[in-house]
Formats: sequence, structure tokens, C-alpha cells
Amino acid sequence: MPHSFSRRSLLAGLTLPVASAFAFGDSSRFIPAVAQHAGKWDTRASGLRRLAWELQRRTSIEVVLEARAIPLSSPRLFEHPFLYLGSDGELPVLKSDEVENLRRYLTFGGFVFADANDGSDGNGFDSSFRRELARVLPQAPLAQVPSTHVVFKSFFLLDAAPGRVLNKPWLEAASIGRRAAVLYSQNDVLGAMNRDEGGSFEFEPVPGGERQREYATRLAINVVMYAMCLDYKDDAVHLPMIMKRRR
Amino acid sequence: MDSAQQTWKLVSLSPLPAWVLVILCAALVAGVVLACLGLYREPDRRRRALLWGLRILAGFCALFFLLEPALRNLQVARARNRVAVLVDRSASMGFPVEPNGPTRSSQVADALDAFAPQFEAMKDRYAFDVFGFDPELAPVSAESVRNTPPRAGRTDLLAALRALKAGDSSSSSRKLAGVIVLSDGADNVDLASGLSARTRASLEELAVPVSTFLVGQEGLKDIAIEQIKVDDFAFVRNSVTAEVELKGHGYKGENVSVVLSREGRTVATQQVRFAKNEDTQTVSFTFTPDQTGRFVYTVSTPVFPDEAVVENNTRSFALKVIRDRMRVLLVSGRPSWDERFLRGLLKQDPNVELISFYILRNSGDNANTSNDERELSLIPFPMEEIFREKLDTFDVVVFLNFGYTEPGLSIATYERDLKNYISKGGALAVVGGDRSFGDSRFSFTMLAEALPVESAGPSDGQTFKARLTPDGQRHPVTALGTGSGSAESAWASLPAIPGLNLTRAKPGAVVLLDHPYANVAGQSAPVLALWEFGRGRTMTLMTDASWYWAFTSHVGGAPSRHYERFWGNALRWLVRDPDLTTLQVQADPPSVEPGRPVGVGIVARLPDYQPAAGADVTVELVSADDGRLVGTQQVVAGADGSARVEFPPPPPGAYLLRSTATKNGKSLGTGQDALAVRAVGSELADAHVGAALMAEIAKATGGKSFTLPSDTSLASVPLLEPPLVEVGRSKDQPLWDRWYWLLTLVMIVGLEWALRRRFGYI
Repeated sequence: MPHSFSRRSLLAGLTLPVASAFAFGDSSRFIPAVAQHAGKWDTRASGLRRLAWELQRRTSIEVVLEARAIPLSSPRLFEHPFLYLGSDGELPVLKSDEVENLRRYLTFGGFVFADANDGSDGNGFDSSFRRELARVLPQAPLAQVPSTHVVFKSFFLLDAAPGRVLNKPWLEAASIGRRAAVLYSQNDVLGAMNRDEGGSFEFEPVPGGERQREYATRLAINVVMYAMCLDYKDDAVHLPMIMKRRR
Repeated sequence: MDSAQQTWKLVSLSPLPAWVLVILCAALVAGVVLACLGLYREPDRRRRALLWGLRILAGFCALFFLLEPALRNLQVARARNRVAVLVDRSASMGFPVEPNGPTRSSQVADALDAFAPQFEAMKDRYAFDVFGFDPELAPVSAESVRNTPPRAGRTDLLAALRALKAGDSSSSSRKLAGVIVLSDGADNVDLASGLSARTRASLEELAVPVSTFLVGQEGLKDIAIEQIKVDDFAFVRNSVTAEVELKGHGYKGENVSVVLSREGRTVATQQVRFAKNEDTQTVSFTFTPDQTGRFVYTVSTPVFPDEAVVENNTRSFALKVIRDRMRVLLVSGRPSWDERFLRGLLKQDPNVELISFYILRNSGDNANTSNDERELSLIPFPMEEIFREKLDTFDVVVFLNFGYTEPGLSIATYERDLKNYISKGGALAVVGGDRSFGDSRFSFTMLAEALPVESAGPSDGQTFKARLTPDGQRHPVTALGTGSGSAESAWASLPAIPGLNLTRAKPGAVVLLDHPYANVAGQSAPVLALWEFGRGRTMTLMTDASWYWAFTSHVGGAPSRHYERFWGNALRWLVRDPDLTTLQVQADPPSVEPGRPVGVGIVARLPDYQPAAGADVTVELVSADDGRLVGTQQVVAGADGSARVEFPPPPPGAYLLRSTATKNGKSLGTGQDALAVRAVGSELADAHVGAALMAEIAKATGGKSFTLPSDTSLASVPLLEPPLVEVGRSKDQPLWDRWYWLLTLVMIVGLEWALRRRFGYI
């Protein structure tokens, strides 16, 4: 029987202490790992849990619900091929070992979903992240992701990339070869999924409200699906049907 | 040479040099002409003619005395020329002249017997040399032709004639006056399709008449597989066509079954019908090789009771089957990191064509959409298509943490297809996870038989480092590096992985990696196991964390390619990549002509693929039809690991070469190849006689064509005349110094003077 999660089971899960030990099968599951840095890195922990829960509910991806904080200089980074990197405000200057570790992580297959939790544009997280990424991957500058990119069809068929806000309706990517090693949103995607201590959504997505929240959730799911399946939905077997549905 | 005989000739005894004689003769002719011209006014034609005659006669008389003619008496003899008799010694001369009749060679021997007295009768003019050509020229006699079976593998009439002429040019004693050819005319080299402009010119250059005596009768009944047109190599799982040219003599209206078989197993059968007595039919066999390697295919037809030659009803050919791109079907039970890193690896490999299907949504999942069709990119899982219709097009199927009970996702219906696919030469890799083996929600029933392990309960969650087994230390799949001990150190350098599907290895399974402390029934739990199932191969990897070897292994260390090498080795082993064997054996050549030895080349390598210098190699030649051991050879590999052995000529048929090698008591593996020993060469493939060709040769060279046994007379055989040569001393008898010649001259001159006076000339 497929696993299914109710709100009750989610809440039960949230009460569990963060476990670092793996159970069999955990190694191939989606674990929401979040990059731990000197800035405000942990403002979207509940959004990550929500993302894991939504993945479990909507897709066949098996997840570990609890987010795991991984310092950027830690070798444990290499146990988590998916890494969420965000900050409510400026991303502090990374130490050289953090830069080195993150570069190796990305080069050998790691994936970073960077999210401007402050919804900044040209300042705050946005400018500092661009600065630090240029140090980590000087040969792979950020570029706008075209609407034909597989991330917009990796599970849901999407036309835009909204989050809590809609600064720019697109994603940017830093690619190594044909693989987008870093996907970056200025729209605070997980902000749309973040919940407060009372269990309510913490922010009202603007300008689209609940509809925008749903699309932000779908985008986050697509991003994870891309991280785990790469360009699977670009295989020839899928294209005719996807093109037909897009018409 | 003839006995000497007398003859004579007219000569000039004048002591004057030739050029003086020429000038004097010219002056004499000029004088006669002027004298005649002086009479042009003479009106009486009789007078004029009379004076002209006398003056010309006088001129001749003067010339006679000037040249001083004499008779030279000579003793001459006629030189004997050489006549070459060429006897065809090709294998087709062993065919009967007619069904149940004597052989063609016997008929030639009879003809030579009949020629012998004629040779004797002409011996004063011609020396007859009798040669057999096979295709080298060698003296033969009627007796040797009768008693020694003809063996040559080809008939090359033009080469024999050229060799004869070349021998004649280098010999100054006797010139070739003619050639007599005794043959069935079944040329299968330059003149196989008759005379062309080039070959006709070559025959004319011989400048001697070639007379032909045709041996054998047309109308012999026979079916021959004359030719098989097929490429030397084919791509696995791609169709290949072999065109078989079937020649029938005397089987008009007969239906004949043509069977294509591979090493004793029938591949296809076709029917042909000969429309006329002399007919050639082409049969096409299109088949799809399902394995790489070299295989021997045999085309055969039934043998009819009245056939002249039975050996040409079978013909074999060797086909090397290679791989174009490896088609890999990757089926993943759900998105996972194992799937993601394996996909990344396979997609960047230019030698792999990856077709993948991942289950992205289970039936219980709720995507929270109002219209799945418009909002989701999902497609139905095309199980019927990939597991039934197109399964045979894949080289390898990889199941990655795949095991469902849901009707829409269960492959229970297709287990038999998958098992048959493996049995017929396919390959399956099953990678573990929480939906696999003992953790699966569904247990394979039929397909499990093809796997080298069986479930042994729920998974073990302890983190461990995979340990290389003794088998793993020398197996190509786990050979991650180069140099001795590199495999062990390479595996030791890989990170620990979290947990294992607990299984137990079946008897016959080869465990390459095991768990260092988790046991199943007293044995270390296998991590990586494989075996051969039917003609296919299967491999099981009891973890869903092989991606640790790809990603986690890069923590703080230098980049390694162990993960890429492991999966590369595994896929190449699964598809039987010939290069992934430590012992390579190769027939050289793969198609062996009848009567030729079988050459075999061997290359032995150590488990780390270094040359196995000094390895003890054993090669067996085994019949592919019944597994009978035909011969065994042993050899020690050289410094580069290579060796060569040769088997004595085996009987016609399909054979397998099986090789084993050891070094310092340790096995270096096994190797196999296939070869075909042809039943007959092109010489025996066709029993027809080339009457037209024999006639054409005779006509092109100025000779004549005859047919045995009716024509055994050499009387009308055109031969060049032998030349005459002087022998002994000559004697000159002068003719000019006789008195009556002088009196004749005086009388002519006097008569001319007298008549000139009488006619009124001064």
C-alpha cells in the first residue's frame, strides 16, 4: 500500500527529535537538507517540512520529513544531494572551506535550490547570493531558465515560477555541463509553504493569494523532481504527450 | 631433330660489296630503260617489241655476269618443337563423367593412353610434355593421373597457360608449338564467367594455338550451395540478411528445403523450386542475432539419391556479431538518488542508449489537481510495449528498487516474458531498496528464478563497507583499477553504505561483494552477486545506496571514477562485451577451407588486464553440433600474453573453440570462439562442365576444341611448324662461268646490232 500522510501524522512527525541515523531506504529518499551558514538560514524549516509532506502526498517520492541542517563546510553535505540555501537577508561572506566544499559538492553531482527568503531584488540575499555563487562557480554564471526547461514539466506542467512574492516570474540556473547544479528563485518559494507555530500559513502570497501558493508548491515539487530525475521528462517517450497537453 | 637432308639455294659469288652491286644494278636498269626509250619513234610495233626484247635480254645477261650466280648445296635438318599437354588436376576432376561412371580424371588418363602412340608418331617433329596443373605445373603420366586423386582447390586455366608460356620464354632449346588442355573447363578464377576482353587478350598474347579436350558430360544432376552473400559482421538485435545462391542441375520442378542453422539449432527454413534443369535460385534469410560474439551459421539442403556431389549441399559461414550502442532499459520504482546518479552516468555515456521509466506517482498519491491531463506531465507506464513488444530490443534491463502490487504497476503479467528474454540471451540487473527483495511489497515468482540470490528476510540497516570476495578480486565487474591489488584498495576506499537487502546466494551464483559482518544462514550476506541464466546474465546489487560510491566518495578527496567504472564494467559484463574477458580466443581465420589447419590466436590477461606472460593455456576444439571433443592443444603464453596454436585439418562442420588459462595455479578465466570448416571449397561447389569456355579458349588462340572420349585423334590439332636449321658444310657450284652463257650474250647483242642496222638505225 502506498504511504499516505494525514495532518495528524505530520504533526506527530514534527514532535519527533531530529534523527541523524538512517533507516534502510532513507539513503535514497528525499531528505530536506538546509544549508547552515552565518546568516538567517533557518527561517523556512517548516516550509521544507511542508515540501517533504507535499512530495509524499502528491508523488511517489519517499521522504524523510524532518529538515536537516548541514553546515556548508561539513562532509555530511555529501550525504544529501539536495540542499536548500536561503536567508532572510544578506548571505554572509562564505569562508574559503565553505566555498571549496560547496564547489566540490556541486561539481560532483550535488544540487542547490537557492531561495531569496527576503524577496530581495538587487540587494539583501539576492546580491549577496550572486556574489558568493560567483566565488563558488566562477565558470557557471546564473542565467535565466527558459520556459522550455525540463524543470517546468518534471511533474506539473508550469508556465511560471511564483513563490511568496512574484519579483521575477522565472528561475535562474548555474549549470555544469547540461545539468542545472543551482536553481535560484528571487520569489521566496518556500515562504509560500511556511507555517507558523500555530500551523497556519505564515505568509499570504502576493499578488495571487492561495492560487499562487499552490503554484509555488508545484514549483517546489518540480524542483525536487528535477534534482532527483534530471532531464527524465525530456526523454523522447514523453515529448509527444507533453506537447499535446501544452497546446 | 630430324635426320639431315640435302637442299640448295641460289647465291651470288661476286666479290664486290653489296652497295657497289646495287649501284651497278641500278645503272644497268637505267641503261636498259634509256635504250628502250630510244625506240619510241619506231612506228612498227613488231620491230619495236623485238628490239625491246633483245635489249632487255641483253640487260639480264649483263646482270647475270655481274652477280656471278652459283648454286649452294646445303645439309639441313628440321628442329623438334615442344607441345605441352596440360591435365587439369583440380578436385572437380574427381567428379564422375556421368552418374555412376568413371571419374573425369580416369577419362583423361584413358585419353593420355590413346594419345601415347600419336605422340610417338610425331616425335620427330614434336616433343610432348605432359603436365598436371593444380595450379602449379608438375609432370604427370597417365598412370599417375589414374591413380592419384585430384586435389587442387581451384581451377585456374589462364594461370596454367601463362606459367607454361613463361617457362617457354626462359627456355631457348625448344619452342612451344602448341598446347593441348584436358579439363572439365570448370574454371573458378579468372575465367569463371567466360572470356572477357582482358582475358581474351591474355590468351592471344600466348601466340600458340591452344586446343582443348573437354572432359565430362553436361547434364549431371546436382544441387550446390554455390555462394552465400553475407556481411562479415552484424549488429546485435539488428536484422541481418544472408543471400544464398543455390544452383540446381537436372532438378527441374523440384522443391528443395533450404535450412539455416546456428551451431546445430535451426534458425529458419525456406523452400525453393527450380524452374528449369540448369537453374540458379537465390534464397534470402533475414535473422536477428541476439548475442555478441562469433557464431557459425550453416546453410544446408537435403541430399537427393542421384546427386553427383553431396558435399556441396552444405555450406557454413562465420558471423561476428558486434554491438552498436547498448540499449539500456532503466525502470525505477520511484525517484531516488540511486536512480538520479545512475541516470546521470548512463546519459553521458555515448555508447549507451538509455530508455527509462520511473514511477512518479502511485495510485494512492493525490497530486491536488483539477485536471490531471492538463496539469501533469505524467504518461501511462507502457508495460505491454516495453515488457512484451520491444523487450528483445534491449541489451540490458535494470530494475531499480522496483516492486509493486498495484495492478497498474505490477509486472506479474510480464514475468514470463522477462524470464524468456534472459534465457534467450538478455540481461537483467536488479538493484535493491525498500521496494526490493525481502522489503518488496511484491515478490517476483517466475523472474526470481533468474536471479542469483533469494530473499532472506527484511533489510539490515547497519552501515557497512562492502567487502570484496575472492571471486570479486578477479572478476571484471569489480575490477575498478589497474595494477595488482588495485581492486581491493579501490573498494576499500569507497564510503560505507547505509543498509542492505538481506539475501542468500543460490548455488552457482558468484558473489563479488559481501557484508563484512551481517550473516545469512552462516554465510556473509551478499552485496553484489551475479550468474548466467540460460544464455543470458543477471546481476543483483542489494543496496539502494550505490550512489554513495558516486557522490559521497568525493568528500574531501581526489575525484575517483570508481562508480563509473563499476557500472561500466557491470553493463559490459551483462552484455558479454568481448573485451571484458581476461582470456580472448580467436579463430584465425574464422572460415577454414577444407583440408586447411585451424589456426587459433589467444591473448591471456591477468585480472587487472595486464599481459599474463607465461600463462598455461589450453584450447579445445569442440564440434558445435554434438559437443564432441575434436582436439586439444596446450601452449604457454608469451611475454605479451599472446599465444598461437594450430589444429590439424578437422572434418567439415561448425566448431567451437574453448580456452582456459591458468597462471601460478590461478584461473585466468575462459574464452570461446566459433569457426566454420567448409565442406567443400568453391572447386567442389559446382559439378558443371565448362564446354563453352573450352571452345572459347581454343577459338581465341587459333586452336580447336574437342570432346572426350569421342575425340582422341591429334591429327587435326593445330601446331606451329618446326623450323629448319643447317647442319654440316655447304658447297658452292658457280653458274656464270660457262661458255654458253657468254655465247648467248654475244648472240643477243649481235642480233640486236644486226636488226638495228637493218631497220635503219645507226
